[in-house]
Amino acid sequence: MNIKKTIYSLILSSLLILSSLGTANADKRLTAAVADWTGGEITCQVAVSMLEEELGYKVKRVVFPSGTGLWEAIAAGEIDFACESWPSYAEADTVMMKGPLMYDGKSMFNYEGDGSVKLLGTTGIIGLSDYFVPKYAADKYGIKSWKDLNKHKDKFATIESGSKGRLIACPVAGWNCHDQKRLDLLGIDFQADELGTEAAAIAEAVAAYERKEPFLLYLWEPHWFFGAYDMVGVGLPDHKTCDSFTEANNWKDCGTAAWPATGWAKDYTFNYGNPETFAKAEHAKAAEFFTKMKFENADQAVMLVEVKQKNRDLKEVVKEWKDNNPEKWKSWIPN
Amino acid sequence: MANLTETISKTNQSKSFITYGVILLVFIVALVLSIQSEGPSKFPKVVTDEFKFTAWVNEGEDYLKKNYRWITKIIAGYIKEGYYFLEDFFLESPWLLVAAIFFLPCLISGGLKLGLYSLFVVYFWGATGMWAESLQTVALMGLSVLLCVFFGTILGILCSQSDRFENFMKPVLDTMQVMPAFVYLFPALFFFGIGGAPAILATMIYGMPPIIRLTNTGIRQVSKETVESATSFGSSKLQLLFKIKLPMSLPSIMMGINQVIMMALALVVLACFIGAEGIGGQVWLAIRNLDVGWAMEGGLCILFMAIMFDRFSMSFSKNNDPLPLDVQKFYLLPQSWEKYQIARIVEKPLTLISAVIDFICIKVTNSIAYISELLTSIFSKTTANDIGEFISKRYYVIPSLIVLLIISFVNSNIYEIGTFPAEWKLSIRQPIADGVKALTVHPGFIGFTKGLRAFVYLNLLHPLDVFLTHIPWWFTMGIFVAIGYFTVGLRFAFITSLLLLFIGACGIWTQSMITLSSVLVSVFLCFALGVPLGIIASYNERFRNIQNVVLDAMQTLPYFCYLIPVLMFFGGGTVSAVLATVIYSIPPIIRLTTLGLSQVSGTYSEVSRSFGGTLIQTLNKVKFPLAVPSLVIGFNQTVIMAFAMQIVTPLIGGKGLGLEVFNGLARSDTGRGLAAGIGIVLLAIIIDRISLAWTKKQRVALGLAKN
Repeated sequence: MNIKKTIYSLILSSLLILSSLGTANADKRLTAAVADWTGGEITCQVAVSMLEEELGYKVKRVVFPSGTGLWEAIAAGEIDFACESWPSYAEADTVMMKGPLMYDGKSMFNYEGDGSVKLLGTTGIIGLSDYFVPKYAADKYGIKSWKDLNKHKDKFATIESGSKGRLIACPVAGWNCHDQKRLDLLGIDFQADELGTEAAAIAEAVAAYERKEPFLLYLWEPHWFFGAYDMVGVGLPDHKTCDSFTEANNWKDCGTAAWPATGWAKDYTFNYGNPETFAKAEHAKAAEFFTKMKFENADQAVMLVEVKQKNRDLKEVVKEWKDNNPEKWKSWIPN
Repeated sequence: MANLTETISKTNQSKSFITYGVILLVFIVALVLSIQSEGPSKFPKVVTDEFKFTAWVNEGEDYLKKNYRWITKIIAGYIKEGYYFLEDFFLESPWLLVAAIFFLPCLISGGLKLGLYSLFVVYFWGATGMWAESLQTVALMGLSVLLCVFFGTILGILCSQSDRFENFMKPVLDTMQVMPAFVYLFPALFFFGIGGAPAILATMIYGMPPIIRLTNTGIRQVSKETVESATSFGSSKLQLLFKIKLPMSLPSIMMGINQVIMMALALVVLACFIGAEGIGGQVWLAIRNLDVGWAMEGGLCILFMAIMFDRFSMSFSKNNDPLPLDVQKFYLLPQSWEKYQIARIVEKPLTLISAVIDFICIKVTNSIAYISELLTSIFSKTTANDIGEFISKRYYVIPSLIVLLIISFVNSNIYEIGTFPAEWKLSIRQPIADGVKALTVHPGFIGFTKGLRAFVYLNLLHPLDVFLTHIPWWFTMGIFVAIGYFTVGLRFAFITSLLLLFIGACGIWTQSMITLSSVLVSVFLCFALGVPLGIIASYNERFRNIQNVVLDAMQTLPYFCYLIPVLMFFGGGTVSAVLATVIYSIPPIIRLTTLGLSQVSGTYSEVSRSFGGTLIQTLNKVKFPLAVPSLVIGFNQTVIMAFAMQIVTPLIGGKGLGLEVFNGLARSDTGRGLAAGIGIVLLAIIIDRISLAWTKKQRVALGLAKN
């Protein structure tokens, strides 16, 4: 009696599962990893709304923290594409991507990885990183450039950094910022403190700003932080590449002449996806769209303020931008 | 006679004198060595270069990826289908149906109180705008708990039948519980894809140990007399197992299920890192946006859910004590309020309603039983009887099913109920965010946090860090091996030396000493705060009740929720990491102190008092020594939890092995992450074994346990 019942229920449930299998497949479907920082979220939403509203796609959005996990998931074909990766911070780009990074028809960099992830095209957003101090601190101590930092290092010191000043550094080791190396090469007597996540670094900066304490923060533009708080860059030397500064060369630096004793290179951010998905004929239009997309910093900055300061719904903000500025995006859509 | 006792106490005295002397000597030598060394102690380069554990793991992973991914994909496929099926069902059902699915079982098993509570929980999910996410989490958790219970009971039964298998499983279970989920989360991704499937598998790894353990002990605890009488009646080994032992160990198994639910919920937040949908993703987004209120709402969704499932599963293992017939049974208010007029007035209609519902339920069920009996009797008489009996026994289940059917019928044919109504919104984001912001700029509070940070860093963390990292590795190892030898035995000392050699050879000695020091500082702070709180709670029942609620909340609330406030108040860094660890791992020490002290039977303290002992004396000389075993268990659990937390603290600036795991994963270097993860596990296991052995010695000394 009991065994019979179990068998029946097993058959029934497997039938149910099988019937649900049938509905899973459909043509114009893509899975997108939605970035987990607001700027990236906006860029993603812009791209996804174009795909959905102009090209007739159904895009499944997955919240997926950026990092190697995401690259692996894309290589494995679990996720079709992700948006707005920053070359300086992409942990796996040199290993997994192959081909030139094109911006405005010019090749900015040539990747020589295994090609397990496809570079879909630049987003148009150009990122720039720097060290920043809050405006009130810069005015109070007269900090005009990074050369003035040493004079006031005691104001930036904490319990842990002792006599040195403290830099709320580039939070993730995998981003290859080499903050401590830069500080040492430039002779800035500060200690770089990696806090592990962007959220941690920003949380501490927000708290310090609210208390009007001086702090030195690594950050990048465009970022919502600049819309909310008045920050001043310390103007590091312009970026120059140093060929010997690689792991293979045991990180032999070029002294103060070049990276990492300089500021960051401009980050031509890009979208990336699974090569097999975008090689398919039915996704040719989507692939073409990604090569044409050119979203601008100024637009993202405005939308960041709307979303973060005015607490508006992100999708609504993007829709509004799209409705009001058709001339900006019409050219991205393939015929 | 007097002479004899004197000599004994003298030898005891000199013995303990020697012990303390040796400890002091060892400590001084360590101090000297650590001061003399110039940098952190390092393992010989020859060993670390030759022992390429990282490379081996990565090669092995590549091999597995190439050759066995198709198998894992098939397994993942099945799990995924099951998960999507559940998820779609929840998301596409009208909200009324979902509410009824939670409400009715809670009402039946836990009474009106639990029923109403479940309605509140369901309302909270919808009102905070996390309806879909909460249901996704429920689906994810439900499936993983189901699988955990299925495989866990099987493994538990196997453990109970074979001592050899049990001995084999013990370290495996320890590892499963302490191994940071992050370590296997990302490799799982490559083998099992993203989303539900790897999340469910990771949850199984993390959540299965308690049910295996509790099934095992439950079966082993079945009394000898019962087993003997069953065997004497001629029952075979299998009959004995399934008819006697398993049913008798059901309470223990239910307890295990309860634990599995709690642990599954704890991992649900981490699951968002591999793309599993649900509240975890919401909490993570909230943290990325520094929205404390949003994170808290997500955390509360999980917390309320956890309490609901906890009470629900508890209500199965608890049997209600029947009241005398002449007393009116209270459904909502505590029975002790019976003397108040108002309480009786409130309860009167409830009693009436419940009588009516009972009547209807019984009538409906009986008539259905009658009809189905009639229908099936056309085919077979005996089956019909069976079915009739089967149905008529289920007074509540059958009507509940009918209610569910009616709701879905109404929804699909008459009126579409749809998803949770948007008008019923409720948000607590703003007040929480405002509160945190006000504290962030409050000068007094910030003065306090800064002082605390400076104290912990300058007096505890920094000196210990320097001390532990600078002692030569062979000396530290020697101390551990010696402690292992004196507390547990020769075999364990040998194992300890091997485990520590492994850590050293992987080239993570310095990091593991940093981890050890932050764990030690955290545990010390837990002790310093937790024991007094436990003492107060053991004397004051009201305080204890309040504290229990707070501790429950602390243990179930995802730790992500309080990371941001800790950061804003204390700033990022190792001190914040220690404080977050303290918040996470303090509950067991408080609970077990209270338990230990209140378990000391009244006679002991009465005897002590009648001899004129003051309150402090009684506590110090009588209660504490007797409560030591319980205290050590609390200490033990706190240590394990503190180690487990080390993997999360790098998110807010923690250092050591946890950061090493993160860095390994950030560079897609599974071997590096795994080595560091194993380092955490090994340290935890060594300390766990030593403290357990010490407890046992104490218990034996106190005559509480046999040697």
